[in-house]
Amino acid sequence: MTMAASDNSPDPNSPAAMLEMDLVKLARRGDLKAYDELVKRYQERIYATIYHMTSNHEDANDLAQESFIKAFSALKSFKGGSTFYTWLYRIAVNKTINFLKQRKNKYHLSLNDIDFNAEHDPDLMALISDKTPIRDVALSELQKKLNEALLKLSEPHRMVVVLHDVQGMSHDEIADVMDCNIGTVRSRLFYARQQMQGQLADYLKV
Amino acid sequence: MNESEPNFDELKKLLKLKRHEIPPPGFFNHFSDEIVARIRAGEGSGSTFLERLHDHAPWLVNFLRVFEARPGVIGGFATGLCLVLLFGVVIAEHSETGSPMLVPAVAGNGAGSMAATVPTASAPVQFASALPSDGGIAISTNASLQPVASAFGQPGDSSLFQPASFTPAH
Repeated sequence: MTMAASDNSPDPNSPAAMLEMDLVKLARRGDLKAYDELVKRYQERIYATIYHMTSNHEDANDLAQESFIKAFSALKSFKGGSTFYTWLYRIAVNKTINFLKQRKNKYHLSLNDIDFNAEHDPDLMALISDKTPIRDVALSELQKKLNEALLKLSEPHRMVVVLHDVQGMSHDEIADVMDCNIGTVRSRLFYARQQMQGQLADYLKV
Repeated sequence: MNESEPNFDELKKLLKLKRHEIPPPGFFNHFSDEIVARIRAGEGSGSTFLERLHDHAPWLVNFLRVFEARPGVIGGFATGLCLVLLFGVVIAEHSETGSPMLVPAVAGNGAGSMAATVPTASAPVQFASALPSDGGIAISTNASLQPVASAFGQPGDSSLFQPASFTPAH
């Protein structure tokens, strides 16, 4: 195997350089290298969505893996009506909501650490500065309260908040992923924010 | 209802904290490898009945979820189903008592061919009295319907029935 020493661009025939649709076609034929590349492209977003829904790292790891495995086994039913990314998200969302319904309210927090950048986020710093009512609250405590407030929402309401306010997805994309109309997405978002605002009133400067 | 109401701004800032929650270092280094290994081990080939049902008939899964969310609906649905079943049985029994029995008629109409008839209650069927010349049996409708009691007529009246003779053959 020869390597181009002067050119750092990936081999155009390698999975990393291929388009999503080409990777999907190969994966449908059982090409695990192509599927491995698809997993790498979306693993962080899928994991993050599930983690924000469950507030538990171990559950998120299991559910994310199961979602990818389920997606591989169901690839033949993927007709390309939406992007692979949306289709994959739909599988992960359904799997997570089913899991949470079975778990009901017996949750236990297993939160990830907050990265170093959070301490440099001006919005977050404003929340814990001496100008706010919560100046003595550390970021970790704020994190715990925020996750507890999220877990008090119903699964569909929590999912909309996670996908929109945390993941930054548009209303259209959320409607597509959750198989509902945009009006439902908007009303769920409004209601969920109202609920959270009430629960976190002590930590917010409203 | 305006989602960008200013009073949600603080909440949105707080929710930004979620974006800074990250899994342990190196978590994603072998994540895809684990998935591919599980697929190779055969986990990707099978799916549960419910998952397959969700793929092929999502409407049915949504319908079943209504029962899950409202257990009282199950009782109502089951009662309704029983009533429909009971109604069907009663209707079927009622229609059976008014329907005639099926009686076939025999006629010389062709070798080996059979056809059933559905007579009316007021018109009993008579078996035809002649065998076809080639010895086969055929069943067909008989336009000249007569009482069933005379279906075979008297012995000797028909060529179908001959008196038995036990005279030794020479």
